[in-house]
Amino acid sequence: MNKGWTGFNIASVVIGFAFLYLPIVILVIYSFNASQLVTVWGGFSTRWYGQLFSNRGLLDAAWVTLRVGLLSATVATILGTLAAVALTRYTRFRGRVLFTGMVYAPLVMPEVITGLSLLLLFVAIDFDRGFWTVTLAHVTFSMCFVAVVVQSRLLSFDRSLEEAAMDLGATPARTFLFVTLPVVWPAVIAGWMLAFTLSLDDLVIASFTSGPGATTLPMKIYSQVRLGVTPEINAVCTILVGLVTLGVITATLVNKRREVKKSREGELAMA
Amino acid sequence: MKTQSLGSIRKSFAPWADPSEKPLIRFENVTKTFDGFTAVDDLSLDIYTREFFALLGASGCGKSTLLRMLAGFERPTKGRIVLDGEDLTGIPPYRRPVNMMFQSYALFPHMSVAKNIAFGLKQDGMAKSEREDRIAEVLKLVKMERFANRKPDQLSGGQQQRVALARSLAKRPKVLLLDEPLGALDKKLREETQFELTDLQYDLGMTFIMVTHDQEEAMTMADRIAVMDQGHIRQIGTPPEIYEAPSSRFVADFVGSVNIFEGKVAKKTGERVTLETPSGGVIEADNGGAAEAGSTAWYAVRPEKLIISAEPLDGPNVFSGEVWEIAYIGDMTLFHLKLDDGSILRVSMVNRARSSPLQLTWHERAWASFAPDAGLVLVR
Repeated sequence: MNKGWTGFNIASVVIGFAFLYLPIVILVIYSFNASQLVTVWGGFSTRWYGQLFSNRGLLDAAWVTLRVGLLSATVATILGTLAAVALTRYTRFRGRVLFTGMVYAPLVMPEVITGLSLLLLFVAIDFDRGFWTVTLAHVTFSMCFVAVVVQSRLLSFDRSLEEAAMDLGATPARTFLFVTLPVVWPAVIAGWMLAFTLSLDDLVIASFTSGPGATTLPMKIYSQVRLGVTPEINAVCTILVGLVTLGVITATLVNKRREVKKSREGELAMA
Repeated sequence: MKTQSLGSIRKSFAPWADPSEKPLIRFENVTKTFDGFTAVDDLSLDIYTREFFALLGASGCGKSTLLRMLAGFERPTKGRIVLDGEDLTGIPPYRRPVNMMFQSYALFPHMSVAKNIAFGLKQDGMAKSEREDRIAEVLKLVKMERFANRKPDQLSGGQQQRVALARSLAKRPKVLLLDEPLGALDKKLREETQFELTDLQYDLGMTFIMVTHDQEEAMTMADRIAVMDQGHIRQIGTPPEIYEAPSSRFVADFVGSVNIFEGKVAKKTGERVTLETPSGGVIEADNGGAAEAGSTAWYAVRPEKLIISAEPLDGPNVFSGEVWEIAYIGDMTLFHLKLDDGSILRVSMVNRARSSPLQLTWHERAWASFAPDAGLVLVR
């Protein structure tokens, strides 16, 4: 195989990565800017990070976001997993196609419409908007993402595993708990992480469904940016980028380690 | 069906022939349809305690559906299944005293070998110490003691097969169901395992029901075989009965290799009939009791029952033709003779000596013949 680097290849890689990461790199660099002015470099400093932790508003928003994310991701994972199980298992009930389509509709629904319709619903039933409405809204739109992830795993799931469990005396509930769930667990976790991430960075739906006292971090950042970008915002965003990167790296490493372990075990079986 | 002395291999074990014996399992007029497709059609079948029973058929013949109805994964559309006097209708799979070994083995990938076996015992609420004894016992039975702590993906195919067997035996079911138990093993391992499984079944005194599409497997292992086709049982019998006394052309053709001559019954004296084939050949056949004079019948004879010669042969039932194919298989040689009417006659010859005195080669003329009692007359 030809591994030589041509000028064209190098240019492609550089331009590609620059396109993806230049904005983020600039954001990270300017978060360490000593100057008050966002676009003028005034030397290295971490003062914005320090100031960040005394900014009550931002910290409150971060706390709200975290709670909404954890709660909505968990509920969405439970509902999404159950929906996926129902859709893959009971293939012959009436209206299955319609039901499947309806579960997936929020995937392609413009967020503005989802947000607006939820707002109308909450107003109609006189539900005070705040923490709970945002959480419910996030469950609604992230649930279908979980269902998609879990369903794709269930489709390749060997049904005879469940039959074997029942054959050995396990009731359907015990079969689900002790056989089905442990086997599809990685997909469930992946679904949870996806739901959590979606909740973490949602601005549109949260704006529609939130009320006083339940401002999420993206809402807070957006409202502050309207008054002008401050280095403080850069610092918050850098921390978010750092957290996400850490998560991705951890997930990759865990996966890699499991693969290595698996291939070693495979060799053992041959011996 | 005429009766010949083609008994069971296991002498004196023939509960099906004893009218006072009560069957362990009864399929009573069982029908199963899937969206208009009839998988099992009004089928009745008795299976006895300690029997090793094989359901043999091509894919789609309904044999797996029958097994799955017994396990409880499918519900009969009509009819009922009775096990040990108890009607199984409406009893879910997790309350039936049968266990199944799956074709894919269906080992739980997230559990070790020992945990896989413990799973069924735990569902029964068996105490831990008793459970451990039982696990050790079945692992010893399948010679897998050393692998108790391995995960299924750390085992080879043959080892996984043993674990699956151990898991299904652990609960000591009244009946063990085996769905193509050796299908995923390579030829050599399959042959070894066939004998091990037969010995195991005999030693445990358990009733085994196996589904297979492999006739050799069924013949080697089973006490009785049911040949299935399109949701019906075409014949039930011991391996020698199925092979030497097939009840129809379908069974004769499905199990083993066979030459079938079609002809008109020209003469009938007792059991002896004379068949005239359309191309003018004459077959003198014994075992023709079922054929009626003047009707069409078929004579089925297995290739190994014929003799072949490079010289003209005397006696009845001599056919001559051109050597069309020769297949040297090692233990035997298979000849295809192209008869004058264009049909192919299969003759096999066991190679008893290292070099054969018969020096036949392609496109030479050869003669083949068989005794009147070498095959049998079929009317279906």
